[in-house]
Amino acid sequence: MSFDSPFHVTIDFDTSHMIFPTIIAIILGILFTAILITRGRTMLATITNGPWWPAGIDHMRFFGTLVLTVIYFTAMPSVGDFFPNTGLGFYLCSIPYLFALSTLFLHERTRRTLLIAGANALIAPTIVWYILSELFNISLP
Amino acid sequence: MELLSILTPMFFTLVTAGTVIGIIFGAIPGMTATMAVAVCLPLTYSLGLENGLALLLGLYVGGISGGLVPAILLNIPGTPSSITTTLDGYPMTQNGEGERALKIGITSSLIGGLFSLAALYLFAPALADFAIKFSYIEKFLIIFFALTVMAALSSSLLVGIFSGFLGIFISLIGAYDISRGGNGELRLVPESLEYYLESGFSLLPVLIGLFGLATILIEAEQGMKEGQSLSGVKIGGKPFKLSIFKGQFVNLFRSSAIGTFVGILPGVGGSAASILAYSQEKNFSKTPEKFGKGEPAGVIASESANNGLTGGALVPLLSLGIPGDSTTAILIGAFTLQGIQVGPLFIGNNPVTWDAMIIAMLVANIVMFLVMVFAIRHLAKVVTVPKNILFPIILMMCVVGAYTINYGVMFDVWTLLIFGLFGYLAHKIGLEIAPFIIGFILGPSAEIYFVKSLESFGTFSIFFTKSWIAGLLWVLIAISIAFSISVARKKNKTENE
Repeated sequence: MSFDSPFHVTIDFDTSHMIFPTIIAIILGILFTAILITRGRTMLATITNGPWWPAGIDHMRFFGTLVLTVIYFTAMPSVGDFFPNTGLGFYLCSIPYLFALSTLFLHERTRRTLLIAGANALIAPTIVWYILSELFNISLP
Repeated sequence: MELLSILTPMFFTLVTAGTVIGIIFGAIPGMTATMAVAVCLPLTYSLGLENGLALLLGLYVGGISGGLVPAILLNIPGTPSSITTTLDGYPMTQNGEGERALKIGITSSLIGGLFSLAALYLFAPALADFAIKFSYIEKFLIIFFALTVMAALSSSLLVGIFSGFLGIFISLIGAYDISRGGNGELRLVPESLEYYLESGFSLLPVLIGLFGLATILIEAEQGMKEGQSLSGVKIGGKPFKLSIFKGQFVNLFRSSAIGTFVGILPGVGGSAASILAYSQEKNFSKTPEKFGKGEPAGVIASESANNGLTGGALVPLLSLGIPGDSTTAILIGAFTLQGIQVGPLFIGNNPVTWDAMIIAMLVANIVMFLVMVFAIRHLAKVVTVPKNILFPIILMMCVVGAYTINYGVMFDVWTLLIFGLFGYLAHKIGLEIAPFIIGFILGPSAEIYFVKSLESFGTFSIFFTKSWIAGLLWVLIAISIAFSISVARKKNKTENE
């Protein structure tokens, strides 16, 4: 883009893909600066007074959810490679994932609550896998 | 006749199922109508457009309505839009009038929903007919106007507008779309991800991440509180009679109209509608001191306004292609899945789908009313469903949705995680998700409209001089910015005092 006069511009088609992102990036920069100027003191006070993240959160459940989810996402295609085009990667990984997550979220881990979590972990993925993969032929990992 | 072929038992079953599932989502604190629509959206792929929309519109109406159950019984708003329902609904429950409060809320929801549906039916086609004449310049200015309105009604003007522009920026990742006149060159993509990001981030995994995974991460951070207990809650008590609405016609009409109007404004959530309607009713009331202590008029104002939002939010979506709120933003995904673009031509080119949508909304409102009135005692129990059972299933459904949307792309599942984390982070640092989503959806169109206008006319002044509509839009943009600055100043003044 070149400026012939303050209002007149000529667009070069070959570089036209960068015009809008550049303008938006400049606007974002200006807005960010404005936010820093207007709310900088409040933000600084929050940072200096703390508590710093992740203090005050439920570490076990928050990070546990993240770790289990990353393992689940990583394992699905790997397991799926052993049983191509069957959706079994999804099915076989979802059962332990659901059980682990349900157990993680529990506050009282009694025999009864664990049994319910186990039954849920078995039934829910089975129904979803059967309906989507077997009945509707929808791709699953 | 074509419409009759769509109105099959399956269509009505899907509306009913969607409404019931939506009520359940809405009734469980932490789960929203937006989440319900996001999680169930991929299921509509195999249903076809009309049947898919029937399910999603049912979820939308049910999800917004279900929020009143925990708001009234437990003082916990099931959805953000039922926040003001707690103010008088819960005191009514404490006074032994739980069932009465629920039925007042349900009836008000029905009236608000039907009012907004009538507004949708009347205004959307007229607005679409008008918008057909818009050139790229007016279309660009409409998007710009939508962003300024969103920012004006955000909790902070700067943060709201920053969130909207951030959404636009992220939507530009990938190739400059050749099919819409771009040059096909990649931008903003790291070399190692060029294969995956050629078309940018897919919309649906982004939405599912922001509204599904992010919500669960926020709940996990707070320790995943167990399902609430209803023991000690008096649902019965004083019977409900329609005569309670005697003298409430103005309240119902005004609150429904406020909800519908707020819905039409892009990016503004139901909470703004119900807060505005509640405060108006309190201001006009002869007995404002009764509000907050179990005044039925408060429940009526709040619930008719938040259901008034449902039809209103569809007006800009179906006439201009601009979503009215975050839930209708997700509905765009349903159209995208079926290869249909929403915008000024949608209603004219798809009259049968349009009629089917109106019928689905009407049926959803009636089903919502019947199910909630006759099964409220049983439905109220869903607030006790343990989250440790529900949330893992939702996460699994999020994965299914993200993976299947592009016929099995694992990168979409990782996109879900990336945007789930982003949504969590946005919540922590106070970024506004609704403007972000709308910026993300409208960004590519805004780029095409802006660059092509400059290519054609070669001058920035064309954005001001193209037509009287462009001039009017600039006036509206100026008003919305001035309004937001005035609100921000008043807020600062109040805080300083």
